[in-house]
Amino acid sequence: MREILKVDWLRTPEGDSRGYIESTELTEVWFHTGTNCNLSCPFCLEGSKPGDDRLNFLTLDDVVPFLDEAVAMGCQKFSFTGGEPFVNPHFVDILGAALDRLPCLVLTNGTEPLCNRFAEIVDLQAKAHDVSFRVSLDHPDPSEHDASRGKGNFKMALRTLGQLHDAGFHVSIARLMLEGEDSPERDAGYAPYFQEAGLPDDMTIIKFPDFMTPGSMASVPHITEGCMTQYTDEAQRAAYMCSFSRMVVKTGGRLGVYACTLVDDDGDYDLAPTLRESMQVRIRLKHHRCYSCFAFGSSCSEGH
Amino acid sequence: MHHQRVFQVKSPAPGLIELLIERGDVVFTPGDCVALFNPAGVSRPYSISSGQDEPYLRFLIRDMQGEVTEWIANLSEGDIVKFSRPFGWFRPGLNGDAQVRSVFVATGTGISPFISYLRTQPEARPEMCLYGVRTAADAVDVAFLESRCPTTLCVTRESVNGYVRGRVTDRLDRLPIADDVHYYLCGLDAMIDDVSTWLESKGVHFSRIHREVFFNA
Ligand SMILES: Cc1cc2nc3c(=O)[nH]c(=O)nc-3n(C[C@H](O)[C@H](O)[C@H](O)COP(=O)(O)OP(=O)(O)OC[C@H]3O[C@@H](n4cnc5c(N)ncnc54)[C@H](O)[C@@H]3O)c2cc1C
Ligand code: SF4
Repeated sequence: MREILKVDWLRTPEGDSRGYIESTELTEVWFHTGTNCNLSCPFCLEGSKPGDDRLNFLTLDDVVPFLDEAVAMGCQKFSFTGGEPFVNPHFVDILGAALDRLPCLVLTNGTEPLCNRFAEIVDLQAKAHDVSFRVSLDHPDPSEHDASRGKGNFKMALRTLGQLHDAGFHVSIARLMLEGEDSPERDAGYAPYFQEAGLPDDMTIIKFPDFMTPGSMASVPHITEGCMTQYTDEAQRAAYMCSFSRMVVKTGGRLGVYACTLVDDDGDYDLAPTLRESMQVRIRLKHHRCYSCFAFGSSCSEGH
Repeated sequence: MHHQRVFQVKSPAPGLIELLIERGDVVFTPGDCVALFNPAGVSRPYSISSGQDEPYLRFLIRDMQGEVTEWIANLSEGDIVKFSRPFGWFRPGLNGDAQVRSVFVATGTGISPFISYLRTQPEARPEMCLYGVRTAADAVDVAFLESRCPTTLCVTRESVNGYVRGRVTDRLDRLPIADDVHYYLCGLDAMIDDVSTWLESKGVHFSRIHREVFFNA
């Protein structure tokens, strides 16, 4: 394993050795399609908004070598996040190329950028593999969702979910997890809306804690090597996203492979230019979002 | 990011701004917008209303005295403006195809992407354009629109000879309904919701209703 030789990467401010993950196998590759988004939600962990270019649009030519490399490494799934992936003009072509190779998951806000390309999306059903859409419905109360995403967007996203489901796609939702919430009760709050949109009652609901906006310095405890050995076992460590996945990101026109989907605002996590090389790097749990993985077992993946 | 010079700022009607920015090497597709950044770094998207081959980028902007429009209203010729690369998902004529049968429904500055498309595609002849404005002075490029397709101008706040008094939603029965027509709706969310609901009640599939919300009422 290659170690990144930087003091604050290796050690906490108190001088303890930081906890780390050594990746074993690559089963999922994420692609960040760019931070340009039609919405500008104040809580966005990516800081995405209209016209934003912190992370650049990926093109088909950027993506294809990673798709092939991932397949050769035994990867089982591709996932896409943004920004809003459908704002990226190359996205339907990128998704088509990915679906020629493996099943895919797309995270979307389910609003106009997707709806305006609905006919092209339906055509993707002819591809070799299936695509599943995860649509953000932050709260089971439309006005709370719309307060940050803009008026009418809960209704729009719900409609999109219904249309995608009708067209035969697998769909799920992503929601915010509130501190001290009664999770089953909050999940149950969606039932009347699912019914209204003709969605199944047992929809998968993925919950996320507040990850905070890019560059923010959350004051969370540091994760030391001791924490990782005392409080986690091998199976738990294997469930960390950085253990089995990577994310491809483009910044300043340069492509890089990041440790996971949550740390793209810290250049230290830009591990290597290729997937294979990135698997050789020991990942230190230095980012404040690593604490969410440690404390809540957060995972953006389905099935992990 | 682009930085270009303001070529002209006009106010064709109270509360309406027509902004021309030098084009430079900016490339776009009709329906694209750019995010304009005020000096504090706050950005909002604005749809381009010029044609692909014109030497400047033209925007039609409703002055809402908000964070960004207040700054735009005070721009002068020669000022340098920072804006994003063009981007968009709203594609009148399905990515600029002049052969697609299309119907446009716009309120206010929501006419911008349609003008851009028609200026870019001289052969395009939409089936119809329903265009809603508050006063006749708010209506932009009416003669140009009329030269390209049957255009109904709906004016809500005054009666004007030759124009319909009322909202675009009062005139939906004029819209042609057919299986190969795509419907493009742009402007105020309430109009877009009402027109979408009406079209779906006539059997038009979701995939042929294209929406671009500029404003939430
Ligand atoms: C894809 C897209 C394309 C667009 N294209 C165009 C276009 O071509 N032309 C165009 O005119 N617009 C367009 N818009 C709308 C535009 O992006 C802005 O939303 C609009 O110009 C208002 O921006 P602002 O910063 O001036 O106002 P904001 O500061 O965002 O405020 C919006 C309104 O709310 C009011 N307001 C603000 N804060 C408060 C408060 N605390 N309480 C009560 N009221 C408040 C303001 O007075 C203002 O009327 C587009 C929008 C989208 C999404
Ligand atoms: S945020 Fe979680 S998955 Fe990502 S690098 Fe940190 S511990 Fe790993």
